[in-house]
Amino acid sequence: MIKNNYLEDLNNSKKPFIIYKSNKGFDLYTDFSKKIILSHSNVEKFINESTRLKSKKKETDLFIGFFGYEILNNLIGINIKGQKGIKFPKGIFYKPETKLKLPNKLNYKNSEIIKSNKLFNININRASYKIIFDKFKKKIKSGETYQIKICTKYRNKTKINALDFFCRLVKSNMAPEAFLIKDKDYSIISCSPENLINKKNNLITTKPIAGTLKKNKKLDKIKALAFFKKNIKENKEHNMIVDMERSDLSKICKAGSVKILKKKTIEEYKDLYHYVSLIGGMLKKNISSLDIIKAMMPGGSVIGCPKISTLNLLNTQEKESRNIYTGSFGYIKSNGDMRFNIIIRSILNYKNNSEISVASGVVIDSNAKNEFNENYIKAKALMDLYK
Amino acid sequence: MIYIIDHKDSFTHNVVHQFERFDDVACDNYNEINEDKLNKSKVIVFSPGPGAPKDYPISSNIYKKFKGKKKIIGICLGFQQILHCEKGKIIEQKKIYHGYQSKIKVTSANSLFKKNRKFNVGRYHSLKLKEPFVAKNFEITMRCVISNVAMAIENNKENVYGFQFHPESFLTENGNLLIKKILSA
Repeated sequence: MIKNNYLEDLNNSKKPFIIYKSNKGFDLYTDFSKKIILSHSNVEKFINESTRLKSKKKETDLFIGFFGYEILNNLIGINIKGQKGIKFPKGIFYKPETKLKLPNKLNYKNSEIIKSNKLFNININRASYKIIFDKFKKKIKSGETYQIKICTKYRNKTKINALDFFCRLVKSNMAPEAFLIKDKDYSIISCSPENLINKKNNLITTKPIAGTLKKNKKLDKIKALAFFKKNIKENKEHNMIVDMERSDLSKICKAGSVKILKKKTIEEYKDLYHYVSLIGGMLKKNISSLDIIKAMMPGGSVIGCPKISTLNLLNTQEKESRNIYTGSFGYIKSNGDMRFNIIIRSILNYKNNSEISVASGVVIDSNAKNEFNENYIKAKALMDLYK
Repeated sequence: MIYIIDHKDSFTHNVVHQFERFDDVACDNYNEINEDKLNKSKVIVFSPGPGAPKDYPISSNIYKKFKGKKKIIGICLGFQQILHCEKGKIIEQKKIYHGYQSKIKVTSANSLFKKNRKFNVGRYHSLKLKEPFVAKNFEITMRCVISNVAMAIENNKENVYGFQFHPESFLTENGNLLIKKILSA
């Protein structure tokens, strides 16, 4: 049994720890014996060696952490030049020695109240957003991209209690891929809903989300499904992502094994409905963890399509580093099984600077004003935590 | 063996899996062509991809070199690549079809497929063929039921085939059958 004030003691101890949503509650990882900071030069070696741990068949025979957006570009041969940023590491993984199960209702009361009324600054205002938006629309017309996601960032400077933020966030916005990383000089608080890789033995699945509908009193799951089915724009975006994920899986799966397991279903969250599909396949023989990561990351649903040309367009347009945003958090077990999400709906707090990144898709019939506002709605749930 | 030339698209591996149902397949990026595999192959497939045919002169040269010598199949951009090499003009269309499912129809009696048959297909294209289009031995054999845009070409004499839509998309009905018929033609 875990003591009542376990989380409080852990938080006060300043020891780094990670909490990750599990089926029934959360898993907590701590007592890290290794911390690996990823760079262009060591990332491949890290992935290859992560499955060569001397396995003692313990629950802690794994590396848990995140790949930032830039390093995932590097892995597939795309280099990003001249972006500004907060010089945050490109990726960090930890080897835990302790794993504990926590219930869905996290037992933690914050004793020190830190409130901030500081306003968030946005890095791209409505007018500049419109300019980028129109530029990308031209690229869609000329066929260079079919769908592209523009990232905007909200920032402020505040000291935060990451555990308190996380507990409040999952209380109001529980998400299947929620996680918290708390380390000495940074924390990541996330209610990501999107699983990118779930690999057990030879079976691999991915669960892309494309389509978001804000809840209201008149809606229920059935009506939400009817809305998406009728809405041509949402369907087109979703179709594109399904075909793209099928293709990514086909790079590493046996011919004929890639199947759409759940086609266009609705998932319900506190404030919104998501339009979701589940796609899976059987891995080919001799596929390495590195092959899997290179085939699937960065996750297509948050980039656009086709992946390579769209990444190149994004990287020349975006002047600031995406850091963790649209990277992946998760773990690689020593037996090669892995689970990774897509880092969205997340706060990065580094040296007391908070950064919330959001993006929404540009397809030919999107409207700059709507997409700009959708970005704000997505960021709001996280910004509300500061009040 | 079927050699698929990838134009760095995010749908190419669906094409690879579809063709692997019928024969061995090798697939390389258009700028990393393996001459040996290319020469040994019986069928060359030009994949979908971003941009326009003029962006891929290497693929155009391969088409010109092997036309009439090997079976050639083009999908989406690959279809436009063939038309571009046959002096067709590829232009932007007003309505853009990215992720669309639409109904098309077999319009020619000379097609491998039955005339007047209608079926649903998946489309990802912002460009289209400007018509009229005339090239020796080529015929437009399928069209969009609503917009009448060219959806397939066949040259049964020199074994060149192209689809503007995506036979490998989950949005296309009977895509595998379509490919099977072309491969056994």
